[in-house]
Amino acid sequence: MNTEPVFDTPHDRHYSREHNIWTQRDDTGRVRVGVDAFLLSSLGELAYIALFDPGMAVARGHSIGTLEAAKMTTSIAAPISGVITAVNEAVLADPQLINRDPYSEGWLAELDPTNWEAESSQLIFGDDIPAWAEESRQRLSDEAEHNG
Amino acid sequence: MTWQLITADGVEAAHGLAADEVLCRQVGAGRSPATLRLYTYRSHCALVGRFQNLTQELHLDYCEGHDVQINRRPTGGGAILMGRDQLGITVALNGRGPAMHGRARDLMEQFSGGLLHGLQQLGVEAKFRGKNDLEVGGRKIAGLGIYRDSNGGLLFHGSLLVDLDVPLMARVLRTPFTNIGDRELRIIAKRTTTVREQRGDSIGIEDVRQCIANGFEESFGIRLQRSEHSDEELAAIDALAQDKYFTRAWLHQRSNVPDLSGRKSIRTDAGSIEARVSMAGKTIKSALLLGDFFADENAIVDLEGRLRWHASDAAAIEETIREWAYATSTNGLDPVAIAKVVLAATEGATEDIDGTVPYGCFVTPTQPTTPTDG
Repeated sequence: MNTEPVFDTPHDRHYSREHNIWTQRDDTGRVRVGVDAFLLSSLGELAYIALFDPGMAVARGHSIGTLEAAKMTTSIAAPISGVITAVNEAVLADPQLINRDPYSEGWLAELDPTNWEAESSQLIFGDDIPAWAEESRQRLSDEAEHNG
Repeated sequence: MTWQLITADGVEAAHGLAADEVLCRQVGAGRSPATLRLYTYRSHCALVGRFQNLTQELHLDYCEGHDVQINRRPTGGGAILMGRDQLGITVALNGRGPAMHGRARDLMEQFSGGLLHGLQQLGVEAKFRGKNDLEVGGRKIAGLGIYRDSNGGLLFHGSLLVDLDVPLMARVLRTPFTNIGDRELRIIAKRTTTVREQRGDSIGIEDVRQCIANGFEESFGIRLQRSEHSDEELAAIDALAQDKYFTRAWLHQRSNVPDLSGRKSIRTDAGSIEARVSMAGKTIKSALLLGDFFADENAIVDLEGRLRWHASDAAAIEETIREWAYATSTNGLDPVAIAKVVLAATEGATEDIDGTVPYGCFVTPTQPTTPTDG
């Protein structure tokens, strides 16, 4: 029986290779961000999360909040620059919503991007997703093997 | 490869934490070399985990009346008491690059390996256990944590018990017990150990520090070079202490996730089983299994370890307990009954500050309170 974990990586969004955060832009230009399956696998069960308030401007790579999970505490890096327009109150009260549904109900924040065209080109998108996902899956598999 | 080694003693709480965070930032940004910092806090400082509630974890009146400084770490985990006999261990590394969160767990192995090698040099045979603990014969001797900042800086924190004043710790940190008497102190003392206790001598902190430094050289295959904070780092530490670690907003912040606790007892053919759970919202932070059943203590400790930082839904609890029962000798304990009582404790958990089980890194027992404790 194949027991390899399956990592979902929906193709309707962009992924940050370095931060393992997904972004999805809607028709109004707003961008939702959330945690991808690979980061979730490294973190384990989430227990706490804090996000900066709407109205705050963040540069790409800067922190939009912090979360504490079973395996570590980590700052959450903004995958693009912008102004926070909303945070997901549901995940603040129930961070495991992210574990249960990372790509939909478990979104973290919405940003009004200030440099989308340039910065999104540095994210993984479209036809590049499968190769990146396979590389990430393989890396996690190697780590799991190494850690016994 | 050469890392810088920074040492300090009698550090104030805010500056000690600010120094670690600045090192993490500087190293992550490539402005400072990889660093090992081995230091002690002033006696005494009580440091809670990143998202803990101060009032729930600390006896604040006692701290105020006895000059115990309080603060909040950037790393997660439970509250700790630090002072001249507890060695703070910080490793700051550059964690930039793809999938660094996964890599951080690998580095955690090396980090704990550094401590284990150092303890070995001290004649103490410890092992890594659970989420982030180092134990000797099931008794905790060090607590560990990881924090990754948005720059890619990785901060590994450790607190090593060279010695411990258990009665003082119980006055500073809240414990799962309503009253603290000799029995409760014995329970806590039985679940922790120290370098001095293991060695049976009064080895000085400097000798411990040297052995731990040697352990890190061995574990990471690096050479350490003694150094001091740069002027840039010192200025940043002062600024961060003022702007963050001295502020009420940082100290007294509360999470939106409610802290809950619950307990439930059932009678089984193998004896009575009581489950006590401490939860962050829907996550089980810790579980204690008590009662008059006969079981291998290590098996119970193993199960409690598996249930730490665990989802509280029925399917997840049942699966974990099934896996535990499959891998362990349960001595006739019915895994279905255990799952039932743990689930009932989580379902009945409520937000009651007085009743919520505090989560002190060295005070929350991780072994069952059996009649032999009394």
